[in-house]
Amino acid sequence: MTALLEVDGVVRTFGGVRAVDGATLSVDNHSITGLIGPNGAGKSTLFATIAGSLRPDSGRIVFSGRRIDRRPAHRVARLGVVRTYQAARVLTRMSVLDNLLVATTRHPGERLTTLVVRPRAARAYEERTRARAHEQLALVGLDTHADAYAGTLSGGQRKLLDLARVLMLEPSLVLLDEPMAGVAPALRVELLDHILALRRDRGITFLIVEHDLDFVMRAADSVVVMNEGRVLTAGTPDEVRRNEDVVDAYLGKAH
Amino acid sequence: MNVLASGGFWAFVAVVAGIYTILALGLQVQFGFAGLLNFGQVGFMAIGAYTMAILVVKEGWSTWLAAPLGIAAAAAAGLLVGLPALRLRADYFAIVTIAFSEIVRYVATNETALTGGSQGTIALGPIGTATQYNGQWSRFQAQVQHSLGFSSSDATMLVIVWGVAVVLLALTWLVLRTPWGRVLRAIRDDEDAAASLGKNVFAYKLQALALGAALAGVAGLFYAWQFSFFSPDDFQPLLTFFAWMILLLGGLGRVWAVPVGSLVFGFIFAGTRFLDFAPFTWFGSDERAYLRLIIIGLIIVLLVMLRPQGLLGNRREMVLE
Repeated sequence: MTALLEVDGVVRTFGGVRAVDGATLSVDNHSITGLIGPNGAGKSTLFATIAGSLRPDSGRIVFSGRRIDRRPAHRVARLGVVRTYQAARVLTRMSVLDNLLVATTRHPGERLTTLVVRPRAARAYEERTRARAHEQLALVGLDTHADAYAGTLSGGQRKLLDLARVLMLEPSLVLLDEPMAGVAPALRVELLDHILALRRDRGITFLIVEHDLDFVMRAADSVVVMNEGRVLTAGTPDEVRRNEDVVDAYLGKAH
Repeated sequence: MNVLASGGFWAFVAVVAGIYTILALGLQVQFGFAGLLNFGQVGFMAIGAYTMAILVVKEGWSTWLAAPLGIAAAAAAGLLVGLPALRLRADYFAIVTIAFSEIVRYVATNETALTGGSQGTIALGPIGTATQYNGQWSRFQAQVQHSLGFSSSDATMLVIVWGVAVVLLALTWLVLRTPWGRVLRAIRDDEDAAASLGKNVFAYKLQALALGAALAGVAGLFYAWQFSFFSPDDFQPLLTFFAWMILLLGGLGRVWAVPVGSLVFGFIFAGTRFLDFAPFTWFGSDERAYLRLIIIGLIIVLLVMLRPQGLLGNRREMVLE
């Protein structure tokens, strides 16, 4: 398999704190890669630097042969790298449907000039987007909530909406930040199946930060372990499970 | 005769409310839809008015060319302010905008050769001449008055200003209903999330700022034409905050709440103008002027307490997190 994403020696500091301190990892195309590590290991910061919302101080991030570490977040998203947030950032004062409709990258109706020059193209695109949005809502079981304000959804529903919204963008790499946190146990199985199906049917690559190790071990083809801003080790779930450094990082040396 | 009972007075009030509607509509686009905290709206209004007046008087341009250029100058000022300032955090942006509007006012006061300085537009032309910027406009207004068969020029202005205001409201309403407007609302709700959905947040904010500034420019033109004279003192920051009050009274995120807020504000403001009955007559006229502002403040505080979402706003939308 070839690497879709390569992170090479990325450093990101906040004041004097080196949140990410020379992290190097690669994510294979069409894989599900788990990113684990104790709190404060730098996982979320690394996510933000990959997605372009934070600029790394040094190091390289290459996606599909292109350097993305100097591009702003919206450009990275348009290349097909899309992230979700630990606490789903739905647009609360907009309807659930609008949350999905806004997730397009090449909508002619989103430019004032094309709106005036080619109103028909804009309308046609809008209709196609609407149809896709309804499909996507049905897929995550939120179709009955289409017209409700997204701010009225529960935490778990927001996670589903966030995932549906990300899929609207037809990404090739999805960064999921703790997809299982705050999701009811019954829904977790469903969410796992959903992610596996997306990889199988659409060939989407996933990089997933998750504290639920059980979920990571079951879903991931490979697991990357971070601690104190660096990559401790990487390998198959079995290799990582047997690695003593990992156990130390999670439970402390004196366990 | 009591002034409050005269139709002419209320026509005048309605004209001013129409001008405020256009001014506050710009804020609605900027804050109600894109979340931009603009405290310098009056600066764009001044640029629109001054550009038109200077081109007409000093350059001898036709009003019908100078007016669109005034609007364009206001929009360009929006871009100029936005390019550096929109990269700042929202609260710093607010400070920059209020500073901008004060800079415009001070420049207009001190660049006497260009603007006529503190004497206002009377000093625009060469000394000893009575060149006015609104000659062409007055003739146009007289024609409209004649064809409408009106006797009062205020009533004519009322029709023109509100006609334009309604067209602008409708256009703004239409534009904000498009996918473009939807992106603005997404940015207002969470700009980081919007960026991670592929939206160029900065470009959209810049467009919203320029569009709102252009609307302020239109308001500036009508202000200039209505009063036939203006000076830098007409563009005090207070005017920006009147527009903000209108916005809050009407309700955020609703285009048609702007004229409602504007009319309510206009009538409260004008209705308290002549407090010539007891107990107000117990006070001297100077004290009464301040008393009036206190009363306006109290009425607005009361309205906002009773309807925090504004007259037409959506209360549910306010409490969503």
